[in-house]
Amino acid sequence: MKNTLGKQITVYATLALLLLFALFPLYWMVITSFKSNGEIYSMTPTFWPKEFLGTAYDRLINEKGFMTNIKNSLLVSLIVSVFSIVVSMLAAYAISKLKFRGRSFISKSILYAYLMPRAVLFIPLYMLVTAIGINNSIYGLMLIYPTITIPYATWMLISYFKSIPDEIEEAAMIDGCSRISTMTKIIFPLSAPGIAATFIFSFTLCWSEYLYALVVVTKGADKTITLGLSDMIVGDVFAWGPLMGGSIVASIPVIIMYLFTSKYMVSGMTVGGVK
Amino acid sequence: MKSLEVQTTPGTLPASGRERSKSGSWLAYLLMSPVLIYLLAVMAIPFGWAVYLSLTNKVVGVPETFVGLRNYAELLADSVFWKAVWNTLVFTLVAVILKAVFGMIMALVLNENIVARNFFRVMLFLPWTIPTIVSVFTWQWIYSDVGGVLNALLLKTGLIDSPVGWLATPDLAMFSVILVNVWRGIPFMGIAILAGLQTVSKEMYEAAMLDGAGAIKRFFYMTLPSVKEVTILSSVITTIWTLNDFEIIWLLTRGGPDNGTQVLSTLSYTVGFLNMSLGKAIAISVITLPPLIMLINYVTKRSLASDK
Repeated sequence: MKNTLGKQITVYATLALLLLFALFPLYWMVITSFKSNGEIYSMTPTFWPKEFLGTAYDRLINEKGFMTNIKNSLLVSLIVSVFSIVVSMLAAYAISKLKFRGRSFISKSILYAYLMPRAVLFIPLYMLVTAIGINNSIYGLMLIYPTITIPYATWMLISYFKSIPDEIEEAAMIDGCSRISTMTKIIFPLSAPGIAATFIFSFTLCWSEYLYALVVVTKGADKTITLGLSDMIVGDVFAWGPLMGGSIVASIPVIIMYLFTSKYMVSGMTVGGVK
Repeated sequence: MKSLEVQTTPGTLPASGRERSKSGSWLAYLLMSPVLIYLLAVMAIPFGWAVYLSLTNKVVGVPETFVGLRNYAELLADSVFWKAVWNTLVFTLVAVILKAVFGMIMALVLNENIVARNFFRVMLFLPWTIPTIVSVFTWQWIYSDVGGVLNALLLKTGLIDSPVGWLATPDLAMFSVILVNVWRGIPFMGIAILAGLQTVSKEMYEAAMLDGAGAIKRFFYMTLPSVKEVTILSSVITTIWTLNDFEIIWLLTRGGPDNGTQVLSTLSYTVGFLNMSLGKAIAISVITLPPLIMLINYVTKRSLASDK
């Protein structure tokens, strides 16, 4: 299809506007984190720092709290994602490859759990961890974050496993492989990229979570990175330098993970409901 | 494929086949048991308990007494509740429409033969990837009265004469929270629609062009119908998320000023954790369930149907 010049111009102009809208806030975040306080609060904002300073980052590193927040978030996100992916792989295998009574009800329930919003669940979950006595600790978050990651991971993995033709498994079973060994030796290895992508997305879901952390953890030592960031605002005082620096620190791991999995991003998102 | 199906369809089989299907069932439940037990114990049961508590006067730290539908009656008589309902509808409707329109534009542009398409796709996707709280703070800084770049830019270009308090009046605050939600949400719609567009065959377009169909005609009669399904489905999913957005509004405005951006999720948090009335806070969530369940049902039906 030959593009006319006019169409080319329209396409690239639209693209430029979309890019400007999408990226300007991120650009602004980055350059603010390197500015001096005087430059940040000057009446006329500068679009390039007069001098790149690391003071905001120094403050982040030296303030012990933020490092603890990062450590907590890493710990919670890793443990929850590992646990979720393991149990979800087993469940997804059963739902996608085995025939049993109640299959459609269970797969529907999983999708329901995936779509049920946090704004509806946060009070029940808060009451659960309080009743058990693990509120105010990262253990409380470890208990409830799988409500986000398990339905998500199971739903994703069902689609990945379904895309593997049954014939491969059948051939192995004729050769004497048991169900369990076809699962662990054929389906799981063949879905490795999908499993890795699902793991990474689960990690980012936990890493970015705010509402549950807000209601469950109020004690400093157990706060996660999202709480650490919101704590940098004291009353109406915004320390924009460290806040933007901290925002970048919080974004870098998720952005890197998305870049690695961007190939699976589209298929992952589209199989996850948007077919 | 066939041999397996015969073995695992119960009822129509010889005894040995039924035996095997039973063990298949048994294995399936064994494999699913961690997930099912977890979801039942941590999601379903606490949720059911919470629905019961919405019928009590539960306050944080105090045992509850049953009060029937009093929480619901009080909410329905409360003007702040109705304001939150209205704001939720406005916020959701405007945001979803904008996300769908700009998502469509993003998808159409990325579907063209442009240089470095994958690079631009990743760049346009970035707002969706970063934590919500980060996008909120970044925009809060852009909106800021002191040193905020939005006012500076608009003043410089002469679009406004004096600085605007982007979060200071109810209407402007609503505009500002919607803008952040839209900024974050466009990429999801864009990528979903793009995936739909890529299944449309180029040959069909070329045939239509040969027949003299113009760009606008081609969009409305060919492009739009072919991505209608995926657009509606991703819009409904987006609606579910937007309807329950908490972080953007809570962190930017706390529901203010003057309840101007108070939506049901922020009201529920305020009532539950600032006023400590958990029973009533849950009642707010429960009231949002019927429309939510309708939307979720729509998605499950569509997604499961396309599985078969």
